[in-house]
Amino acid sequence: MTRRLIALMAVLAMVMAACTTAADDPTTTPAGTDETTATEPEAPAPGGGDTLNAIRDRGSFSCGVNQAVPGFGFVDEDGNYSGFDIDYCRALAVAVFGDEDAVEYVPLDAAQRFTALQSGEIDVLIRNTTWTATRDGAEGATFLTTTFYDGQGMMVRADEGFSSIEDMADTAVCVLSGTTTELNLATRFGSIPYTPQTFDDNETLQAAFIAGQCDGWTSDKSQLAGVRSNFPDAEGGPDSLVILDETFSKEPLGPAVRDGDSEWAQVVDWVVLVTILAEELGIDSTNVDGFGDTENTDIRRLLGLEITDADGNTTVFDPGLGLETDWVAGVIAAVGNYGEIYDRNVEPLGVPRGPNALFEDGGLLYAPPYR
Amino acid sequence: MDVTPSTVGATRPPLWRDLRVLRVVIQIVALAAVGIVLYVLWFNLTNNLRSQGIRTDFGFLDQPIGVNIAGSNIGSGATVRRALGVGIRNTAALAVVGLPLLTVLGVVVGIARLSTNWIVSKLAAVYVEVFRNLPPLLIIVFGFRAVVLRLPPPRDPATPFDLFIVSNLSITVPGFTAVEGFATFWLTVALAAVAAGGVWWWRTRVFDRTGKPHHRILWSVGLVVAVAAVAYAILGRPIRLSIPQLNGRAISGGFTGFGSFFAVMGALVLYQASHVAEIVRGSIQAIPRGQNEAASALALSPFQRMRHVVLPQATRIAIPPTINQYLNYVKNTSLAIAVGFADYVNIAFQAIGNGQPAPQLILIVMGGYLFFSLLISLVVNILNRRLQLVTR
Amino acid sequence: MWMRRNLFPTWWDSLLTVIFGVVAVWGAVTLVQFLVTSDYTIIRVNLANFIVGRFPRDELWRPAVALVVTLAAIGFVAGVASAAARAVALDEGSSFRSASFVENLRRQWPLLVTIFVVLMLTETWGPRLTVLVAVAAAFLAFIGGKRAPAAVRRWAWLLALVMLGVAYAILVVAGGVGWGGWGGIQLNIFLTVAGILLAFPLGLVLALGRRSSLPAVRLVSVSYIELIRGVPLITLLLMGIFAIGFFLPAGIRPGPVARVLIAITLFEAAYIAEVVRGGLQSVHHGQVEASQALGMAPWKTTRLIVLPQALRATIPAMVGQFISLFKDTTLVSLVGLFDVLTISGVANAQPAFLAQGLETVTLPFVGLLFWVGSYAMSREARRLEKRLGVGER
Repeated sequence: MTRRLIALMAVLAMVMAACTTAADDPTTTPAGTDETTATEPEAPAPGGGDTLNAIRDRGSFSCGVNQAVPGFGFVDEDGNYSGFDIDYCRALAVAVFGDEDAVEYVPLDAAQRFTALQSGEIDVLIRNTTWTATRDGAEGATFLTTTFYDGQGMMVRADEGFSSIEDMADTAVCVLSGTTTELNLATRFGSIPYTPQTFDDNETLQAAFIAGQCDGWTSDKSQLAGVRSNFPDAEGGPDSLVILDETFSKEPLGPAVRDGDSEWAQVVDWVVLVTILAEELGIDSTNVDGFGDTENTDIRRLLGLEITDADGNTTVFDPGLGLETDWVAGVIAAVGNYGEIYDRNVEPLGVPRGPNALFEDGGLLYAPPYR
Repeated sequence: MDVTPSTVGATRPPLWRDLRVLRVVIQIVALAAVGIVLYVLWFNLTNNLRSQGIRTDFGFLDQPIGVNIAGSNIGSGATVRRALGVGIRNTAALAVVGLPLLTVLGVVVGIARLSTNWIVSKLAAVYVEVFRNLPPLLIIVFGFRAVVLRLPPPRDPATPFDLFIVSNLSITVPGFTAVEGFATFWLTVALAAVAAGGVWWWRTRVFDRTGKPHHRILWSVGLVVAVAAVAYAILGRPIRLSIPQLNGRAISGGFTGFGSFFAVMGALVLYQASHVAEIVRGSIQAIPRGQNEAASALALSPFQRMRHVVLPQATRIAIPPTINQYLNYVKNTSLAIAVGFADYVNIAFQAIGNGQPAPQLILIVMGGYLFFSLLISLVVNILNRRLQLVTR
Repeated sequence: MWMRRNLFPTWWDSLLTVIFGVVAVWGAVTLVQFLVTSDYTIIRVNLANFIVGRFPRDELWRPAVALVVTLAAIGFVAGVASAAARAVALDEGSSFRSASFVENLRRQWPLLVTIFVVLMLTETWGPRLTVLVAVAAAFLAFIGGKRAPAAVRRWAWLLALVMLGVAYAILVVAGGVGWGGWGGIQLNIFLTVAGILLAFPLGLVLALGRRSSLPAVRLVSVSYIELIRGVPLITLLLMGIFAIGFFLPAGIRPGPVARVLIAITLFEAAYIAEVVRGGLQSVHHGQVEASQALGMAPWKTTRLIVLPQALRATIPAMVGQFISLFKDTTLVSLVGLFDVLTISGVANAQPAFLAQGLETVTLPFVGLLFWVGSYAMSREARRLEKRLGVGER
């Protein structure tokens, strides 16, 4: 028995050594890699290429979401998801199925979200996820229209008197693992000594910050604002926290789908875009049914109402996205336009619209024409 | 019943009922089945990874990890390989500090459960029943949230006796620093320890031959202490006590452990010790009552009975299951991820989260634990054999 | 007199008594203080989340009815087992006495207290009624099982399985939710039960393989068992979440619960194999020799002589394995499943409870659920152990 164990360990050690030497030496590639280049083109992504039809057959689609970020994705007492990101999952369900409940929510950790997308476990990722080149490239995701322009910030206690990152030498900073913020933090601090406290979930991180284990909490500013505005009075209330002015990264958050599936990607894309268009045109969930006799052809096209041209022919505009002609009306009736979604979820956190205002109001939201 | 002798060995059963053939066939079938399963899995793996453009090599080990890791001097530019090394070091630290503690606690509680003192045995029983039946992960999380985080924040740490610096971020205790001559000092002490082993053997022989009191502990420990003291003086104090100092926010000197480290270590020690206590209790109870009574008849005190009669025998019974608990402890340290302590699994998880390939990283982590487990199994096997020789 | 003998026989004992007496009193006072001063609103409003996760609130009658049926099934089996034990005892001429009400109460009071506590936290009559009906059903089924004619008793296991199937059907069919969407403590219990049931056949094969006289079979079994037992469960779960998808053919993409269940099954099989091996070793070799002398084939010997005795001997250890898996199911919260430990975090992220440090309320509550479940089962296992005479030489 003993001898056998030694032999087993020796084998194990050799295997591990082999792994490492393979890594050291670029010429010895393990089996599988050489085939990569040879057969790449013919292998389609699993379930890829035809997600839209696949989910039509299934009768629902799965949406990768957050379960514990106030305002964006969380679960209420009755077990229902709600939040900004969740509203877009619902909008998508209405667009494809006309039923806002035809969606399966899959709660995901930051670290596992892209694997879930790659492996086909989810059809779309709407989980305050930052659009980066690596994620578009190596992670096999395709990012679509940004739903929320955010930036990374640092929240500290007011009484500690920090006014910039440079003041924060030798402090501890809480950060969520597997996020772009974790990477940005390392870059931003550079040579300033600090102790990162990396947590796997938001709840533990929050508890650590409240207990003062970390002096700073770095995350997307909207998330920080959400926590700040809800900070209990027993701990000093919102005024006891300060979010530093510096924004040290761009964090455009938006939905992502698997690579190589443009039809499905376009649907997701336009669900986001029509909420922006609807706000531009003044359509909201309360008045969406009242445009039956409007003269504005932009509105008539968007809502799928009959359009009579100069010759008296009536047509209904269909952009050919593979959806019903009146899908936009359904989406707006169910979740409202962008402004409504924002006001319902993010406004209560005390985050001003800022860059997330319409272009005409000085923001970054700008949708291509629906025609 | 008449058996015709000529049929024995002459006629063989048909091929499909011949045990010798069957044995070979079954083994081939079993191996083939396993082989096919492994091949299908491998085929799917390479196929899937290729179709999604995911690397299957281990080259990522030399890419930068991209994040800073608390409590290590490696920056975000360090390679994944080095970061994993830090993870192994942190896991080892959990083991090195935790295993002795859980042994002591387990033995003490195990003996306490058999105490004749009602309140002592009841308290021990309550402790064992409470911790044995709780999920270790929950104890870790609770220990972190409700105990460690209740400590003062690092901006305003407690400094009991000016020797410790205690905050919920980290706890610093006095340690020692090595100055010049450090290596020589340890070498000398190590030589002295070897010599002490010889002295031990010599005193045992003297005792066996002459029956004079051996005092072997006194002799050997004395030798080591004496050599250490002389070497310490000659080499010009190669080890200095270092008391932690607080300079603004930075801590210098002493040994520092993170709050999350203590949460994981403390919770798992409490959990695993409750199991060890049950093992100890069972082992002591397994000693036949007659042994104790015989010792009583020889007028040994309760302490002597325990020390010279019961415990030596109970130890033999207790060692294999206790080492199993040690293994469980080490495997359970992988739960450190729940409170953000940068152990082996946590670092791999962070790397995965930052885009490094998951299958390879998980395999590397599994291999590490497996190597350690097999190493321990090896030790247990050797130990078992030796213990068995002693019994016979 | 009792105090003198048990608390203060010597000065040393007196010292211990005083020190630990103070510790005990302090602990009790702290506990009571904590229990009295805590605000349980967060558990009160999230109770359904803790128990059944995101199960649709309009369909809560399903878990309720399923609970009643399940408890009836358990009660029935327990009744049959009790009657069988009595028959065996009468056969052997030893006295048999089933536990009295007071004994049961003394053994299982924590379970009763917990049920009471959970009911106190509910706001509606539904759960209270459910528990009442479920307990009544279990009790009636127990009596029924005890009194059932031998012909029925023989098929008790099948009947119980059918009842469990019915319970599952109630949860799932026509507008219910399949196990892929379960959450809360329901998910933990499901993963435990399903994990053990699925792992058992594999574990049995591995155990037989490990004791086989065929070297190749033995090698495969030993390698598998040692490989799995050498790694922490969390690495297998990570494998399940991140990598199992890659090992399956394209198109087959099981959901997170299914993948975690695969990982748990693979993990648990190795441990069950060791438990079964212990049972196999406890069967006296004379039994095998005797059956060989009778001319039984090796396979028949194993199936008819060795296994029945071995499996009977493993029952307590299997309960132990069940308990340890039950506790280990909390690990699925680390890979994002909606188990009861995740709910604790989720509840603390709701706007009404955000950032108030209420983990000190929710975590002990979750701990209570696990503690009571494990404690109740370990007490029953100990009782079974005594009754089966396992471990007695």
